[in-house]
Amino acid sequence: MADSDNLRAKVKEDVIRIMSETLEISPEEISSELQFNTDLPFDSLQLYEFVIDVEETYNIRLPDELLDEVKTVDDMIDVVVKLSAQK
Amino acid sequence: MLSEEEQMSEALVRIFENVVLTEEKSLQAGYFKDLSIAEMHTLTAIGPYDARTMTNTAEDLGITTGTLTVAIDRLVKKGYVHRERDKRDKRIVRISLTHTGKLACRMNSKFHRVLAKHILAGYDADDRKHLLDLVNEVDQYVEQQLRRYDSSENVRATARQVAKDTTKEKKQDG
Repeated sequence: MADSDNLRAKVKEDVIRIMSETLEISPEEISSELQFNTDLPFDSLQLYEFVIDVEETYNIRLPDELLDEVKTVDDMIDVVVKLSAQK
Repeated sequence: MLSEEEQMSEALVRIFENVVLTEEKSLQAGYFKDLSIAEMHTLTAIGPYDARTMTNTAEDLGITTGTLTVAIDRLVKKGYVHRERDKRDKRIVRISLTHTGKLACRMNSKFHRVLAKHILAGYDADDRKHLLDLVNEVDQYVEQQLRRYDSSENVRATARQVAKDTTKEKKQDG
């Protein structure tokens, strides 16, 4: 498995784990294509809790302007992979 | 009928007061009831990412480090701010936001973004650009006025310091 695949798999695992802890739902209920606006029961406080946890886990910055582009769980994984790879 | 100057003047004061009031009410109704507006602005000045020095943060807020120290004492106690001395230079104190502090700061930014989004939503692209240009001009003008007072205050402070130093020197000489 290439390094980039390893990184993506690790990010996916972490993102889904943090999301399931924040929302108090099982990780099995979260799939990549779920939409933040319609499919995931985040209120704004939980959303930022999730974002800050991801930022702290990967030591990256996810400002609101960037989050505006994130529509699905998969988009979030892509952004985290991209920012982590740039470090 | 009010003159244009009166309309502008009243609107400016009202916008300022109502934004602050709305922000205050949203704080009271939300998750961070134990924070005052001034405290929230202190968190915003520190920012959600890198640690900052007390001196730089005080400068950004336009307050003395003494005043900031009192505010930071309270915010540390409430669990919003983490404070530590620089490992190499013990005179430097660095402050950063805790997880809860970051959360409050991000929620407050969102409040401002949502407010701005709703104001802009009523306009088409051309009008939005025009509105933003005009608002930026007003912002720059008011900023300019503020700098004038800042610099005159600096001149006065420098003059006071020079007078003090001269008196000291005279005493030492005499």
